[in-house]
Amino acid sequence: MASRRRMLLKVIILGDSGVGKTSLMNQFVNHKFTNQYKATIGADFLTKEVQIDDRLFTLQIWDTAGQERFQSLGVAFYRGADCCVLVNDVNVMKSFDNLNRWREDFLLQASPHDPENFPFVVLGNKIDVDGGNSRVVSAKKAKAWCASKGNIPYFETSAKDGTNVEAAFQCIAKNAIKNEPEEDIYLPDTIDMSGNQQQRSSGCDC
Amino acid sequence: MASDSDSAYDSAADQNPNSLPDTPINHQFNSAIDDHLSSLTLTPLNDAVSDLAPSQSSNNVLDANSLADQIEAIDRNSSPEFEVSTVETTLEVAVSSEVVVVVEERENNLERESNLESDGGVVVWREVEGDAVASPSSSGYAGERGSSSASSASGIEEIEEHQVRVRDRSLVNGIADSQPAWIPGKRHENEDDASISWRKRKKHFFILSHSGKPIYSRYGDEHKLAGFSATLQAIISFVENGGDRVKLVRAGKHQVVFLVKGPIYLVCISCTEEPYESLRGQLELLYGQMILILTKSVNRCFEKNSKFDMTPLLGGTDAVFSSLIHSFSWNPATFLHAYTCLPLAYPTRQAAGAILQDVADSGVLFAILMCKHKVVSLVGAHKTSLHPNDMLLLSNFVMSSESFRTSESFSPICLPKYNPMAFLYAYVQYLDVNTYLVLLTTNSDAFYHLKECRIHIEAVLLKANLLTEVQRSMLDGGMHVEDLPADPSSRTGSASSHLGQHSPDRFRDTRTGVGGPCGLWHFIYRSIYLDQYVSSEFSSPINTPQQQKRLYRAYQKIYASMHDKGFGPHKTQFRRDENYVLLCWVTQDFELYAAFDPLADKALAIKTCNRVCQWVKDVENEIFLLGASPFSW
Repeated sequence: MASRRRMLLKVIILGDSGVGKTSLMNQFVNHKFTNQYKATIGADFLTKEVQIDDRLFTLQIWDTAGQERFQSLGVAFYRGADCCVLVNDVNVMKSFDNLNRWREDFLLQASPHDPENFPFVVLGNKIDVDGGNSRVVSAKKAKAWCASKGNIPYFETSAKDGTNVEAAFQCIAKNAIKNEPEEDIYLPDTIDMSGNQQQRSSGCDC
Repeated sequence: MASDSDSAYDSAADQNPNSLPDTPINHQFNSAIDDHLSSLTLTPLNDAVSDLAPSQSSNNVLDANSLADQIEAIDRNSSPEFEVSTVETTLEVAVSSEVVVVVEERENNLERESNLESDGGVVVWREVEGDAVASPSSSGYAGERGSSSASSASGIEEIEEHQVRVRDRSLVNGIADSQPAWIPGKRHENEDDASISWRKRKKHFFILSHSGKPIYSRYGDEHKLAGFSATLQAIISFVENGGDRVKLVRAGKHQVVFLVKGPIYLVCISCTEEPYESLRGQLELLYGQMILILTKSVNRCFEKNSKFDMTPLLGGTDAVFSSLIHSFSWNPATFLHAYTCLPLAYPTRQAAGAILQDVADSGVLFAILMCKHKVVSLVGAHKTSLHPNDMLLLSNFVMSSESFRTSESFSPICLPKYNPMAFLYAYVQYLDVNTYLVLLTTNSDAFYHLKECRIHIEAVLLKANLLTEVQRSMLDGGMHVEDLPADPSSRTGSASSHLGQHSPDRFRDTRTGVGGPCGLWHFIYRSIYLDQYVSSEFSSPINTPQQQKRLYRAYQKIYASMHDKGFGPHKTQFRRDENYVLLCWVTQDFELYAAFDPLADKALAIKTCNRVCQWVKDVENEIFLLGASPFSW
């Protein structure tokens, strides 16, 4: 078993409403799919353990609502995210065009330490629909955009039949840990009595 | 738990503006003051508290006649349920079960109403709609939803984790030590929020980071609860985004209490009917325990990196937190904010203090000798003194960490009330199975010096036979209600009562008796000047851990109501329900909490309280640490 400590990774899933964010999660976590559409309200939370190179990770997945009226929740929800997953529907051009807005909005609201290198993953979902005949976003176009944003990994997925879902989330976890900063040694101060003055925080709360 | 609607809730406020006695206890034993009767003012029927006109008596004596009359006059239907709802504006959400959200506006600290509508522009979490307690809505257990709403929880029994009493251990601890055995370590680690057993637990505690990463959970594995933890963060952050702060959510029988400490969020979910103030105080202590281990410098880690995961820093400390949470149900120090001493003859404690003072003069900041959670003696350099909460957290840390028992240790610790930002160093050594010495210093190189101090102290203590006396006191216990001296007015000797002088048949009494005189079952006396309390030993009929816990919860409730900022502070309260008569009396000098047989006579109970106070006064040399500098800031 993994001897090193388990890590918890916070993963935010973003994208227009109806692109299949919740379905992707359900496929990944519960291996289930339903054609019925149910709008997510606010956010749903799921957890799943993954193993990468002998190490156990817990993915804490924040499945957010795509509707615009929930966008105000951003700051609260995005804080401390380890990875952000952008989802579009390959059959709807608008959902692809909006990826840029989702990405920028995330970086603005989460204000991560190193925005240039913050790990994103893009998923082009619903490739199964109509045998691919209704598709409007080509893989080439999607990859080009991903390359222009600092080589974001791109996966074509189907939440319905499970294509690439496992692989995508493996990649998500790997990218999240790559971004892990070196942790300093935890070294708080020691009370200093030498100045003959009692060191006490001035705002004593008692 | 007693249902409040059945109980007669009687209380009275006795204002004593002239009372400024020099000594903690100053009594007149003749309690009949007729003038009281004419100066009574009764409050409206729906008010549980009534004020007495200023008393003509300048003594701290409970007046049986006036109090009893007043009690009769107050409406019996008044229930304490209104406590929170009148202080804080609450709101009920019309969903499957009653959900009340109390928020506090950050800017001006005023409570205000906050509406969560079930649809429309305002966000509602599904778990609020469906289940009574917040829980993840789509974590793969949709089939269970609805089966565990609070309103249908009537069949739920509290699973008594820690109430298992290990026979061998209770023998070692002696008959007087009534605290139930606590089993160290995490309980029910394989549970998560999908487990029915997890959902049925009566009291959950969670610590999480402001990004929703779990730090500690009382039950279940933190990682498996990551989704639940995220839900909690979402609730807190959502309310914060609106410039408010969520304090309390009521959902049927459950209360969800929130405490935000910078990047650290603490949450308690409880259906124990404890007051909000008590639960919040418990969260404060839990936070203090975390600070004791890490200092507040941990905030800097979050400033640098908001996704910081602090669980590794707390590695191996599960037992410290679970032991503290366990103490919320047996240790009155957790709500009284006072410490208690091991009863010892005055010269014995003096001798221990003298040797500790020796080392304190050699650069030790605090020297503390304790037996379990009771202080034998303590000394602080430079007039510095320890806050009772710091002592509670320190002794909990030492007692719950197994490694301290096996070897001498030197460990960084932080005293949150002394200085939350920085570490001290603690030298810890057990001198026998229950007695341990803690020497605190600011010098990280002081181990060998402190080791020498300990050798010196231990030699002196052994020579003076002090450890033997400590063990004997552990066995004998302190104040037994059966030993309450007879009516002081008929007493002949002035200072004749000593704790050592038990009546020979006391041991028979504790097994078969019905408590002390006049139906007195138990009492706690807290000295305000000393920051110390003394609690009588438990005896029949309060002799099981469950009964003791129930009594402590009742004390805790009456403590909260006495200190309620909206109505209090009160002076006296008399409350009768099917379990007890509780009598509480607060003066400038002390607080007395006494429990009687539910059929006890009021006037006699009040008289008995006066006798208890006199008794405490008579033996204060033995039960309190006198001459310790009072808490100074």
